[in-house]
Amino acid sequence: MNTLELSGITKRYGAMETLKGIDLSLEAGEFLVLLGASGCGKSTLLNIIAGLIEPTDGDVRIAGRSMRGVHPKNRDIAMVFQSYALYPNLTVARNIGFGLEMRKVPAAERAAAVRRAAEILQIEPLLERRPSELSGGQRQRVAIGRALVRDPKVFLFDEPLSNLDAKLRLETRTELKRLHHALKATVVYVTHDQVEAMTLATRIAVMRDGRIEQIGTPREIYDRPANLYVAGFMGSPPMNVLKGSITDDSLSWAPLDGSGRLPLPPALRDSLRPGTALTVGIRPERVGLSSTAGAAQLTMTVDVVELTGAEILAVGQVGSQPFIANLDPDAAVEPGATLPFAMDPASLRWFDADSGKALT
Amino acid sequence: MPSAWITTRAWLLMLPLLVVMVAVVSWPMAETVRLSFTDAKLVGTGGAYVGFDNYAKLLTGRPFLLALKTTTLFAVLSVALEVLAGVLAALLLDQEFRGRTLVRALMILPWALPTVVNAMLWRLIYNPEYGALNSLLLQTGLISGYRSWLGEPTSALWAIVAADVWKNFPLVALIALAALQAVPRDVKAAAIVDGAGAFARFRIVTWPYLVGPLTIAVVLRTIEAFKVFDIIWVMTRGGPANATRTLSILVYQEAFSFQRAGSGASMALLVTLIVTLFAVSYIAILRRSAAGS
Repeated sequence: MNTLELSGITKRYGAMETLKGIDLSLEAGEFLVLLGASGCGKSTLLNIIAGLIEPTDGDVRIAGRSMRGVHPKNRDIAMVFQSYALYPNLTVARNIGFGLEMRKVPAAERAAAVRRAAEILQIEPLLERRPSELSGGQRQRVAIGRALVRDPKVFLFDEPLSNLDAKLRLETRTELKRLHHALKATVVYVTHDQVEAMTLATRIAVMRDGRIEQIGTPREIYDRPANLYVAGFMGSPPMNVLKGSITDDSLSWAPLDGSGRLPLPPALRDSLRPGTALTVGIRPERVGLSSTAGAAQLTMTVDVVELTGAEILAVGQVGSQPFIANLDPDAAVEPGATLPFAMDPASLRWFDADSGKALT
Repeated sequence: MPSAWITTRAWLLMLPLLVVMVAVVSWPMAETVRLSFTDAKLVGTGGAYVGFDNYAKLLTGRPFLLALKTTTLFAVLSVALEVLAGVLAALLLDQEFRGRTLVRALMILPWALPTVVNAMLWRLIYNPEYGALNSLLLQTGLISGYRSWLGEPTSALWAIVAADVWKNFPLVALIALAALQAVPRDVKAAAIVDGAGAFARFRIVTWPYLVGPLTIAVVLRTIEAFKVFDIIWVMTRGGPANATRTLSILVYQEAFSFQRAGSGASMALLVTLIVTLFAVSYIAILRRSAAGS
């Protein structure tokens, strides 16, 4: 039995359709990240799971039970909000224990649960303070504590790290991952940050315009994007996308302009005719400088060289199409250079030029 | 630019205002203080020094203490009811419903009316011969015959309080509504997920955001209520049998009807002192909330 199951969820506000049929299911212990740009419907979906928004259509099932008409407090979920959403005039201890207090859990039991959660999150010294006396990171811990103490079937996180500064975000991210491992919690986590998604998720659902574009493990999403949208959304810098077509001999692919050839995978060789328009996706970090001319597959002209410390980004074009290569920091590249490069054919991703759907 | 010149220029720019302030506030104030130690009449030659006699008479005499009691009663009743009605109205207007904007705009109307117009309006409503209130209460069987609401000492103050609440609750409602809209949605949602009922949500989530602005509204309204004059003057002139004679009415009567400028001035100063105490507490609250945020 799945811990969480969504089937055919839609949400309309007047003429606007925010969610256009979402199906997904989650097993116990999974960490699902709903990833997408703002306005893609991910937060609406999370609120529907929580019961804070009623879906127009479709069903949410938690532990096999339909949640239609079930109040949020009876759904066995706990939620952590972006703005922490602490109760300003309650102490940290009461903030954490408030859900239990409302459920009439005896005071002694409640205190023990609050202490346990505080211990896990290392906020015991803060228990008697008020939210206004805490830093952003501490507030977020309290908000997480409030969810922990409830021991729910599903944890819901709504962009919990986006109000933290970069350093704290990194630390809290690691901590969330550790917590997830330790508690074997089932989590649905909303973010627009692909790094958060990659590092935390056991599975990622990439959303756009009220639909799930692709759902899979971080590896799958990154290496095998289902379409050009996902390819362009994931990775920083994102996957290079080059337009081109199949050569006359059906054995390889040539870019729209500029020189070079890429070998076509056997499956495509047989099914597609020469001249078919095809788009190829190339991860910037899969690009290697080719020292021997024979191994070179494509050539880029370099406009700008950016050293980030751990790597060099060579920004330029293949023919007239923009292209970025992520190279070793000691690679000898100069702006204005013509750079022959090569990559493992297995790392290439092929897309239908019209629909943008992946072909391999 | 040298800072001395900046300071001088600042004073120069403020000078016209200072002159006006001295002319219309400071000088009359000082004159009132002087008068309060004399037995001056409003007309005729100017009065002999009597020391604290005026104050002593006031604080031991019935009229002043009665007026103080009436004023306090009026202030407490009207402010309490305004806050209650204002918060309830704000809670309703914070809900999403069709025509909300229209209702919000309509609600301002009583507050936008001049006090005198409002007072006249309520005199019509309370009219003992053709007033709407009598008609309503008689037709619903709550009273057996028409009554003179403003003519009976037991009901006159209450009737004025009702008229004052009607006029001033929209201000409280507006302030409360602004505070309610500052309550973060996430916190409301968190309380729902935590299983808090409507009352617990109000107490834990809404109240902390409401209490600050509401305190300011209460202090401001209390200051106003303590100075109340116009609505009472139009509706009852302090009657019947002095049942609605507040401090400001008493000061007016003493100084202008009975033409006792000296003792009128001493009363006016005591009212000023009381109102100043409220004003000081108002400033203290503002300072504290500024320091808190």
